[in-house]
Amino acid sequence: MFSTELVAQTAISGVMIGVLYALMALGITFIYSIMRMINWAMGEFYMIGSYLQFMLVAWVLGPDLWWLAILISTAGVFLLGLVVQWGLIKPIFKKPPEMRDDYATVVTLALLLFLRSIATGLAGPNQFTPGSTLPIMMIGPMPMAGARVAAFVFALAALGIFWAVLRYTWYGLALRAASQSRVGVQTAGIDVLSVDRVAFGIGVALAGLAGALLAPVFLVFPTNGMITTVKGFEIVVIGGLGSIPGALIAGILLGLIESFGAAFIDSAYQNIYGFLLVLAILVLRPTGLFGERGREA
Amino acid sequence: MRKFGLLLAAGLAAIGVSAQAQNIGIGLDIPLSAPGDAAGGQMIRRGAEIGIDMVNAAGGVLGKKLELFVTDSQSAPAMGVANYRRLVGENKVVAVTGFFHSSVALGINEVAKEMGVPTLAVQASASDITAKHYDIAFRTHAVDPVRVAAWMEFIKKKGFKKISIIAETTDYGIGLTDETIAQNKSGKAGLDIQKITFDNKATDFTPQLLQIKSFKPDLVLNIGVGTPVDLIMDQATTIGLLPTTPMLISYDAPTRPQYWQLHPKNGEGIYFIAYYSPKSPLSDLGQAFAKAYKEKYKEDPVYGALNGFGAIEILAQGLKAANSTDPKALIKALESGTFKSWPDAPVTFPRADGVYWHNWVPPVLIVHYTKPNQDWKEADIAVTYSKK
Repeated sequence: MFSTELVAQTAISGVMIGVLYALMALGITFIYSIMRMINWAMGEFYMIGSYLQFMLVAWVLGPDLWWLAILISTAGVFLLGLVVQWGLIKPIFKKPPEMRDDYATVVTLALLLFLRSIATGLAGPNQFTPGSTLPIMMIGPMPMAGARVAAFVFALAALGIFWAVLRYTWYGLALRAASQSRVGVQTAGIDVLSVDRVAFGIGVALAGLAGALLAPVFLVFPTNGMITTVKGFEIVVIGGLGSIPGALIAGILLGLIESFGAAFIDSAYQNIYGFLLVLAILVLRPTGLFGERGREA
Repeated sequence: MRKFGLLLAAGLAAIGVSAQAQNIGIGLDIPLSAPGDAAGGQMIRRGAEIGIDMVNAAGGVLGKKLELFVTDSQSAPAMGVANYRRLVGENKVVAVTGFFHSSVALGINEVAKEMGVPTLAVQASASDITAKHYDIAFRTHAVDPVRVAAWMEFIKKKGFKKISIIAETTDYGIGLTDETIAQNKSGKAGLDIQKITFDNKATDFTPQLLQIKSFKPDLVLNIGVGTPVDLIMDQATTIGLLPTTPMLISYDAPTRPQYWQLHPKNGEGIYFIAYYSPKSPLSDLGQAFAKAYKEKYKEDPVYGALNGFGAIEILAQGLKAANSTDPKALIKALESGTFKSWPDAPVTFPRADGVYWHNWVPPVLIVHYTKPNQDWKEADIAVTYSKK
């Protein structure tokens, strides 16, 4: 059932969700690019961001100050990230380098289960929503929830700020340098473990921001970060591990493929289309669209 | 010192085994986390726990206390099967009840027919759960044909002609969709049916809903379970499908306390299936349960809680009738007995034909919210359908 309007609506819907997917993936790829470790508990930081947003809007600030709640929720997840890095991740980096991957996997998987259990224990299995006072908006021919449009704008702004900080600030330079050579950064007199802490905080804060932005759209419950982790890793494989532009382009690509596949092929396989793209990328370009071939001694 | 430690450990283990041996275990496999309907699972658990307390307070069964072992299926059949094996193998339960998601119940029954410990499904509706005529499979819930017959009657009453079905790709969603298409054909209803399916782990249903909107249906049948039900409602509202087009939700999720918290603006006008009307009388057991539930949770029990309680009562009465904890004796007692549960009607599990094998079916209602924040007990009843 093709119609120009349906195609346009599907494209807009795909791009909108794609940018939000990219925000989810950016934290994973950023932490990896600096620390060379994968944070398997990324979805749980998304979940914490969504719970903070709900609690702030429902109990403290009210629905009109949803934007302030988003900033506070993101800052809260950033601070939690600093604590987690200091308590759980930093000790890993004092181990022999060849063991880091194994330790990081075990520690972040344990963290995933711990945070999910804490959320279930404290809030129960029920769903919540902070609600939204934003009206439905027309994006071309496509009606969109105000909260989703706001999430899209915030996500684009966050991606822009993130890029500008990395590109134009001294600390961004240090982060980029750490992503190229940890030893080189140390020889320049920079405390690489301190850079790690900030990088981990920023990475999980991006997930927390996604959680806070999407709380009124995709609801708040203990396992709502699960989809974040799955989509995030799909995007990382498609875009290339460690590539920030890759995360944005792969996110939009994934959003478009899922939307068009669901609308015009078969909606039952909506989640499969992304995996087909992942498989195609792995066959044709195993390092991802923007990934670089690694050099190992 | 080491010997003392070993002796202490052995002693404690012996005490544990002895305490366990004094109790009769009943397994409860329910969804307690996503993508399962965790809120639905929680309601069943609440009912079953009160049921255990009430049975034990009345002296227990066969001189022993009942003990509930709860497992989380997450709506995954593989998880459900592993849970069943553990409940039977390690916890030595005499029966396993619960089951919210049809796919989990179907998976478990395939293993249960080999292991022999009976299952009692309280809120899983796929026909094959009982239609396969396994000795171990029992159920106290509405089956697909009855539920579909109820909404076919509703569709006829309203004069709807174009129906969009948005259903999850599970035994529940596909089973209800196929049954609707079959009854449309067999009953010569002449409906124009659009079938859209989705993965129950999906969160963005906009592409599917855009297709539905362009079909211009008279009614949308929302056959999701758990989070997707709410996301479909919200996203349908965004694209202008709701409230213009009526939506019927395929089970009683809107009776839960959080419904109006999630849908303060778009909850009005929704139709949904329910299996119990507060206007219907409860048995004396049901009334005692409702009182205990309200005292504990400060709200009225919904169907899931009532049926979770009912399952424990039925199993307790079955064990007493069998005068044994042997699974075969329990199955025989369940098949031949008449049991008292929460409804004011006897519950039986005859070896009946087709889907009604070992199956007690409650009446199916279609309920309509006509005001915002309406208590479901005061909502309009559009259709009441009982098994013919």
